[in-house]
Amino acid sequence: MSVPDALRPRPLYGQFPTALRFCVRDQTRNRLAALLLVLFVPAWYLMMDALAGDTPLDFKLYATGRVLHVDGGHLTLISAGLNSVTMIAGFVVFDAVRKALAFDRRLVFAGYRQSTLIGAKSLAVAVVASGIALYTALAMLPFWRPDPGGWFAVLAGFTAIALTYGALGLLLGVLVKHDLEGFFLIIMGGLMDTFLQNPLGNPLANKPVLEWFPSFGPMQFAVGGSFGNTALWSHLALGLGWAAAFAAIGLVIFRIRTRNRTRRQARRDPVLLPK
Amino acid sequence: MAPGSTPAPVLQAHDIHKSYGRHPVLRGADLTVTPGQLVAVVGENGAGKSTLLKALAGTLPVDSGEVALTGTLGHCPQDPVLNASLTVEQHLHYFAAAHRLPDLDRGRELVDLLGYERYLASVAGELSGGTRQKLNLTLALLHDPDVLLLDEPYQGFDWDTYLRFWDLVEGLRARGKAIVVITHLVFEQDRFDLLADLTDGRLTPRTTSKEGHHVGA
Repeated sequence: MSVPDALRPRPLYGQFPTALRFCVRDQTRNRLAALLLVLFVPAWYLMMDALAGDTPLDFKLYATGRVLHVDGGHLTLISAGLNSVTMIAGFVVFDAVRKALAFDRRLVFAGYRQSTLIGAKSLAVAVVASGIALYTALAMLPFWRPDPGGWFAVLAGFTAIALTYGALGLLLGVLVKHDLEGFFLIIMGGLMDTFLQNPLGNPLANKPVLEWFPSFGPMQFAVGGSFGNTALWSHLALGLGWAAAFAAIGLVIFRIRTRNRTRRQARRDPVLLPK
Repeated sequence: MAPGSTPAPVLQAHDIHKSYGRHPVLRGADLTVTPGQLVAVVGENGAGKSTLLKALAGTLPVDSGEVALTGTLGHCPQDPVLNASLTVEQHLHYFAAAHRLPDLDRGRELVDLLGYERYLASVAGELSGGTRQKLNLTLALLHDPDVLLLDEPYQGFDWDTYLRFWDLVEGLRARGKAIVVITHLVFEQDRFDLLADLTDGRLTPRTTSKEGHHVGA
């Protein structure tokens, strides 16, 4: 029986803090991702650093048209970091969102506001992705110590790509039917995307086609900040634009897939279920 | 029964049709349930029992027909829908937030009634099938709904839990709650007020149901 809101006892738990806490917990209990973060990231830096050596490379900053002559090893550390972040952030979010989808639907059916759940999920993705980006930027320091401004530019680039691939993980988590499809798309997409941005042995180096990839903006911002002392804010915004676009599409699909089909009417009237 | 003495139905499904592609599953199913009634919908594997339950719960759109529900609804799906990374206690917490409950008293009471209080701090992914089913049932009952839809609820229960389950159901029925149990096997027919067979997409009441609790199916 319905009770007027004023007479209803105060709920024990708020919906938003509860959903946020459990969404973050969901995304941080992935042991494989934790292992990848702790072991794979430093190993990947080590391997890519050894592979690139200190070959000088030309890197074009599209915002200014400048071509920077940079240390190939350091540049490769940035693209290796970006690559690690795409894989781990995408994997963590995809796995958590996909596994929780039926449960989220049940929560909405039980009375959770979809907008609250969506808000909490988005914030949880942002928190976890930012944590992954911070760790990956810190793990780069034993291999290369740019000046503080440069390091923050790398961190900002890593955060933008972590948010982008976290949002892609969310989108694939509500969209694809099988685990393998999602993992394949995230791993192959991240590899292709980030490696094409690095001029090392890349025939597409500094070509305009690179602008159409999600890691273009974050790579430009990170390199501009760490090698050129330039803050290319529009390129950071471009990276965040990709994140916003993936998240928006994913959340619309999430909303459709978790919607409650009952149409509630005035109290004591029957609730008509849809045809 | 004289007109006017029949309690108003709390759940009424009329002429429900549902097909998957060209395969019709429900072909005009009718069901009327009044407060305090315990109804079994019985059917063979693949008869469309779970489809009917989802249609009644509103989680599946039907092709035609209407379902009218008065009051609150609890739905216990056949396969437990849980979050493997959350503990039993956290599940109660999450659903208390969903239902905006002022306390967790009912949740703890249900955990005690079903006898799995020692697993409160265990994550759902590490629970046995039977305990997962208990938690699944607890979540459906947490807000003390007026109508309860249970899909094969005692699957995986041991005998002791099976008896506890019926104690719980009797308690709900005594408080005027309506319960619809979907099952492919009925062990104790006399527990139910009505047994309805789902055959060829329609519900047919069995004549062996208890006298004095008439419902039209």
